[in-house]
Amino acid sequence: MQPVLSITGISKSYGSIKALKNVSFDVPEGSVFGILGPNGSGKTTMLSIILDILKADTGSFAWFGQSGSSITRRQIGSLLETPNFYHYLSAVDNLNITQAISGRGTPADIDRVLEIVKLSERKKSKFSAYSLGMKQRLAIGAALLGDPQVLVFDEPTNGLDPVGIAEIRELIKDLAKKGKTIIMASHLLDEVEKVCTHLAILKKGTLLTAGKVDEVLSNEDIVEVSSSDPDRLKMVLQNFPGASSLQQDGHMVRLFFPVGTAKLEDINRFSFEKGITLNQLTVKKKSLESKFFELTND
Amino acid sequence: MLTLIKIEWLKIKKYPAFWWMLAIVMLTYPGLNGMFYYGYIKATSGKEITNNIAKMLLGNPFAFPETWHSVAYFSSIFVLLPSILVIMLVTNEYNFKTHRQNIIDGWSRQQYITSKLFDVLIVSVIATLVYVAVSIAFGIYADSSTVSQWNEQLRYIPLFLLQTFSQLSIAFLLGYLIKKAFIALGIFLFYYLIVENIATTYARYKMNDIGRFLPFEISDRIIPSPAFFGRFGKDAKEGYEHALNLVPEHIVYTILLTTGIWMICYAVHKRRDL
Repeated sequence: MQPVLSITGISKSYGSIKALKNVSFDVPEGSVFGILGPNGSGKTTMLSIILDILKADTGSFAWFGQSGSSITRRQIGSLLETPNFYHYLSAVDNLNITQAISGRGTPADIDRVLEIVKLSERKKSKFSAYSLGMKQRLAIGAALLGDPQVLVFDEPTNGLDPVGIAEIRELIKDLAKKGKTIIMASHLLDEVEKVCTHLAILKKGTLLTAGKVDEVLSNEDIVEVSSSDPDRLKMVLQNFPGASSLQQDGHMVRLFFPVGTAKLEDINRFSFEKGITLNQLTVKKKSLESKFFELTND
Repeated sequence: MLTLIKIEWLKIKKYPAFWWMLAIVMLTYPGLNGMFYYGYIKATSGKEITNNIAKMLLGNPFAFPETWHSVAYFSSIFVLLPSILVIMLVTNEYNFKTHRQNIIDGWSRQQYITSKLFDVLIVSVIATLVYVAVSIAFGIYADSSTVSQWNEQLRYIPLFLLQTFSQLSIAFLLGYLIKKAFIALGIFLFYYLIVENIATTYARYKMNDIGRFLPFEISDRIIPSPAFFGRFGKDAKEGYEHALNLVPEHIVYTILLTTGIWMICYAVHKRRDL
């Protein structure tokens, strides 16, 4: 299947600072693609290039198999960096402009998206009178106009309160269920972990890894085991064949295996045969946070 | 094209500064011309011999058809008012970062500049309409006996439009390149009111009038001083005729300069990071 977005060898410098170094990856259709990285890692630069706000020094990108143009941009709902609207206009007047430029949606669709982002009651207020969170909601509403198949969100939960953050996450999950492709930059790890199916990690302009969240996160299987006698459990499991290492953490023993080799039944049987009854046995993926620090630490 | 104009109108029609500027222009053009008209009436209405000489020399600069010329000349001094609006219209886009959003939402970079060209054109047309209304009003009011000559010297309408569009394009270029409203306005006013006037005057006497090629002066010369300036002796008459003779040449320069300005904008916008 043709990727929605294909990025090939993109580099970008600001003077002597190299913001992106030869970055390439594909965004498959229907994925929620998280671009993750610390502040200043090049996430927004990457998104700005694919939306033609910045010009790449080298490399290219293609949307739906075609090189990026105003026509491809009209099919994408985007929120880049900050909500950009005319301060003296109301939400409705601003969305009228978005609608007229993009051709996405109809004037009637404006009411629908304002309802989704919960701004209906304030739709006639001037943008300048909005709170930071309301501005962010309006920007998300503008991206949703015309129900586009592809959405680009740069830090979508910026400025939102905890309820707002939860709502936007639900919204993104709903959109993903409907088969939309969502490209999302974030420095919030749990945000990415909770909603993304795919992931690219950037650090100082270099792409560290990209792929399915499962594949990126699990370069080993971790099995957590516990019983009423943890010390004996540890002693017994030290001889379990196939485990690459073992750790004890209070009552819990963690066994590490190469990806895809952990078999819970075998561990259960092995322990039982040695006279230990397990009261917990689960496979844990490596958390995104630990993976992120592992990758981005020098 | 029409879509671009419609979208620009969506942006402008609820922009308070636009309506303020329109109101100020609508007061200033008649006000300024009224001032000169009042001076004329005062100089010619007495019964002294000097009053009659003045009347003879000046004619009636506000009667048809000379009103087209005189009002164009006096009103053009106040191009700085719509210039402020033009600078605000372009620097606002940077301020609100909507210059980015318009592209993200699906305009090409070329369409963005074209939309701004329409902004400048819309403001120029409005200023020209006000000028036309003021000229007609003065023409009728100043001397109703010459109204039948209304259709002479109509060329000043397109010349006024061209001059205004050209000078507002310079204002646009400054706002477009400098991005900050106050800096662009400061430079514009300083250059328009002071630098170019001094340079042009100096060049007129010392440098073979090379100052006529300065950006504003190029188009200033397509509307020379009103005819009565040429009635004060032989030198003045020659000067006036010389100015009239240069008009066609300056129309060409004005068109070239204005085209150049917009070509720069298109070329820069095509390449630069937004």
